[in-house]
Amino acid sequence: MSRYIATRAIRGANAIVHEADLMLQRAMEEKGPDTPVAFPNTAYYLPFILGMTGREVSKIGELPPVLEHAKSLLHPVPPDARWTPYLGETLDSGMATLFAEEIIMALKFVYGLQPEPMPGLELAGSTSFTSPDNGGGPSADGHLNGPIDDIQLRSWGIQLVDGRMPGFAAIVGCAKSNEVAVKIVRELQRRNILTFLIGNVNGRSIIHQLVEEGVELGYDTYTVPFGTDTISAIYPLGFATRSALTFGGMKGGQARDILLYNKNRVFAFVLALGEVDDLKYATAAGAINFGFPVIADTIIPEILPTGVTDYEHVISMPFNEIEGADDLERAERLVQKCIEVRGVKVQITEVPVPVPYGSAFEGEVVRRADMQVEFGGKNSRAYEYLRMVDLDEIEDGKIELIGSDFDTVEEGGYMDMGILVEVAGRKMEKDFEPVLERQIHYFINGASGVQHIGQRDIAWIRISKGAAEKGFNLKHFGDILYARFHGDFGTIVDKVQVKIFTEPEVYAEWLEKARAAYDERNVRIGTMTDESVDQFYSCTLCQSFAPDHVCIISPERLGLCGAYNWLDCKASFQINPTGPNQPIIKGDISDQDKGYFSGVNEYAVSASHGSVNEVAVYSIMENPMTACGCFECIAMLIPEANGIMIVSREDTSMTPAGMTFSTLAGVAGGGLQTPGVMGHGKFYITSPKFISADGGFKRVVWLSSILKEQMADQLKEVAEREGDPDLIDKIADETVCTDVEGLLKHLQEKGHPALEMEPMM
Amino acid sequence: MTIEIPKEKYTGAVREVTLGATADEGGTRAHTLTIGGESTLPYLQFEGTIPNRPALALEIRDRKPDDWSPLLLQAWGEAMDDPGEWAKAAEAAGADLIYMVLSLTDADGEPNTPEYARAAVRKVLDATSLPMAVVGPGQAEIDNELIVPVAEEAEGERLLLGICEEKNYRTIVAAALAHNHLVQSKTPMDVNLSKQLVILIHDMGLPLERIVMDPTTGALGYGIEYGYSVMERLRLAALGGDQMTQQPMLVNPGEEAWRVKEAKVGEGVPENWGDWERRALDWEAVTAIALVHSGANMLVLRHPETLRRVRSVLDDLLGSQS
Repeated sequence: MSRYIATRAIRGANAIVHEADLMLQRAMEEKGPDTPVAFPNTAYYLPFILGMTGREVSKIGELPPVLEHAKSLLHPVPPDARWTPYLGETLDSGMATLFAEEIIMALKFVYGLQPEPMPGLELAGSTSFTSPDNGGGPSADGHLNGPIDDIQLRSWGIQLVDGRMPGFAAIVGCAKSNEVAVKIVRELQRRNILTFLIGNVNGRSIIHQLVEEGVELGYDTYTVPFGTDTISAIYPLGFATRSALTFGGMKGGQARDILLYNKNRVFAFVLALGEVDDLKYATAAGAINFGFPVIADTIIPEILPTGVTDYEHVISMPFNEIEGADDLERAERLVQKCIEVRGVKVQITEVPVPVPYGSAFEGEVVRRADMQVEFGGKNSRAYEYLRMVDLDEIEDGKIELIGSDFDTVEEGGYMDMGILVEVAGRKMEKDFEPVLERQIHYFINGASGVQHIGQRDIAWIRISKGAAEKGFNLKHFGDILYARFHGDFGTIVDKVQVKIFTEPEVYAEWLEKARAAYDERNVRIGTMTDESVDQFYSCTLCQSFAPDHVCIISPERLGLCGAYNWLDCKASFQINPTGPNQPIIKGDISDQDKGYFSGVNEYAVSASHGSVNEVAVYSIMENPMTACGCFECIAMLIPEANGIMIVSREDTSMTPAGMTFSTLAGVAGGGLQTPGVMGHGKFYITSPKFISADGGFKRVVWLSSILKEQMADQLKEVAEREGDPDLIDKIADETVCTDVEGLLKHLQEKGHPALEMEPMM
Repeated sequence: MTIEIPKEKYTGAVREVTLGATADEGGTRAHTLTIGGESTLPYLQFEGTIPNRPALALEIRDRKPDDWSPLLLQAWGEAMDDPGEWAKAAEAAGADLIYMVLSLTDADGEPNTPEYARAAVRKVLDATSLPMAVVGPGQAEIDNELIVPVAEEAEGERLLLGICEEKNYRTIVAAALAHNHLVQSKTPMDVNLSKQLVILIHDMGLPLERIVMDPTTGALGYGIEYGYSVMERLRLAALGGDQMTQQPMLVNPGEEAWRVKEAKVGEGVPENWGDWERRALDWEAVTAIALVHSGANMLVLRHPETLRRVRSVLDDLLGSQS
């Protein structure tokens, strides 16, 4: 906590409370305690006072206790020599300031000094005031807006609550130039952010700047000029208080709840332009109580630790030091920073490409004859690589093509291409990189006339002649990825930028980096064990079909459908905290070998609605995990062979169990625990935890040949790990036998180890 | 010899939800309507209590619908030409509440407008003093555009607003928050999705006492058994104490039954299908009665005769209403 800020805020608070005191004394004498005080067109009395204290102030005579309360929140200015924490004092001062400001504004209404006159100003939609200056009738002209009325509060409130409006910005002071003022407001409008204008620097306000430039102000343009003094900052904070009362269902006096509601749900921030004086510091301290951070375009001390606000409390971004070619670019960056600090999310609803876009086009095939160009495949190479970088290293929405576009190759030709997606986000984790990277396949496939196959450095993309004719070019890959990552993964991704490489040297350089990253990820996945984590994840996605089934997904046991591994679930939970993948704390381990965990058992009982009481995560013989029906494979005990067979869902042949896959599926599925039968994902076979309680991979006596082919390399490694390099040959498949007699004969001939192992039953 | 009937002990109960507001409560309804509250499976009164009867709603539109069966047009007659008159006729037919569906377009095919929707709702509020539900035509953008002004128009009446679906619920919930109404959530026949949407709506700050959930059902012969199974599981979870599944359930047998061939088609069907009107009415009534037995707390019906029949079944199950 900066002592400097504390000092100035505390000093500012003392001064403004004193000023309110003097004004109130004068009003009591001149107008009397029974004179009504009210803001126009609101049912919330003086809203900040109502929200924080529960007092329904309607007369001047009811203000003194409020002022006393404000005084009780004041603290002495810290002496030069003492260095203690000041956050509490500063926040108190902020609250005192806001009480004083609302008292002052209420009294100014009594004296006809609010809304602040501004001759000649015409507002595009505003609070209606009945004032003698307007001949007794309501008028939107000749004055600033003053407080927002209840009708507008509800109308905007709905948009703030449903997310169409991401938040509001309170701009205090005066921009470097009129041009910069306009740019800042336009940048905010472009993002649908409500803009409130307040205050001045040496008599000049951003309101003056915008009016001079002919910018339309008022409700209709989402820019509300409250007043050219700092005190009118109470209006947006009163608006914030009323939001909580209206939409949060809170009652006056629930101060803490109201402030927390704003912190958690109202994405607002304060942008201080120009010099910050004591009163601005004091008012900003008030805003911080609401969880609204302050960003200043001048040099002020920062308050970086988080706590009252989600991220930093006070950020200094001296305007002239912002990187950028000119002031307009600097203004753009400044707004970008504000959005980051408050965690406002960008909403993108449409994918801006010249061809139709949607999941309906995902399965589309582009044949050679219709093809304009291809990347990857037989003649060229394409790769895609997504990496996480720091928030500061990335410019959101920047899409670059480095090298030539495909109009430089003949029709039906090919070229090498690399796609680098860089993402940053406060909730992003390095582990999510592969999860997000896999989405590139789906995102790019959504464009009509574009076909995407594969991933990593075996990606293969074709663009049809039709798409090329409509103007589809390489940069559009960037547009698609930018829009979709924000749209689908906005909860973990704050910024996205995309680079497309066709220039050979850059292409080669990044291919190296991508491959290094792929290797690193392989190692990371390979070394992640169930013991190395505290929690597993559930998957209840299939409960619509199998209501009592729940998958328990651990690093070494992926979901039985093969579609979800532990990292996918972790990311899915971040994106959708109420969704089907919930963390399960492992809890007490009662049997590490069989895989009995107290947390898993508790979760299984509740998620299976009491039909499963215990799960042995690593056993097929004792309380095996249940299955829905989506399994890639079914494992089943063959008692005569003292081992298990594994049949793939792609294998239609008869098996030694006397049943085909489809018949077996009826036994294995439906959320029932049947010892000796288990549905699972095919890559679970290669896991060291594959039925490890029952002897592991060496128990496999029969395996569909399609799995042997598809997973030849991995299975070879497993055989070596198990200390029996020829093991795969000893395992039968449907080409060897489809009955138990044939199986036993084969196992004896080959000397399969299962025959010598201890009995399974 | 006495036989002891085994009884199940449940730890949870369905949440009570109250629609409508009387003058004392800031509205203009003659009475409020409370649904839910049961602490046992449907009609096992020996095991727990069933404090509130299922509510029977009649569906009306903001204008005469283009695609309703001639049988329904015949039943409602000229009342359909005016939403206020239609609402009065529905009240006279014995409805517990009016369930108003806003149309996508006007009679000429032009998009419906907020002004029209607002005026139609006002008409119905003035014509009847029954509690009321208002839902959009079922297209996200238009639903939002129409429901927000309706919510404002009916401030204080504690309407049931809808329909909140996973892809589009935030605006409707925000409108309910701003103007103190209730919402209907709807998910496609899935226990977890039902529950998740209730959580999401509740997360926005709407109290659970203001959410009615529609688990979605099918008509007789068109998936009703699947709907039944989802409702049964939701109810078992609710009674088992799962807070987020304890919302009263609303189902729409009227809409479901009247869109299946057996109810819709009068000509060119096998002769042994029998009389069209009788068949159509049976289809809606049997669908509705099956749903009553599945634990529905609110049923939306289309034909006044169906309402009479379902009412008589409820009287048999719960004793006639005083």
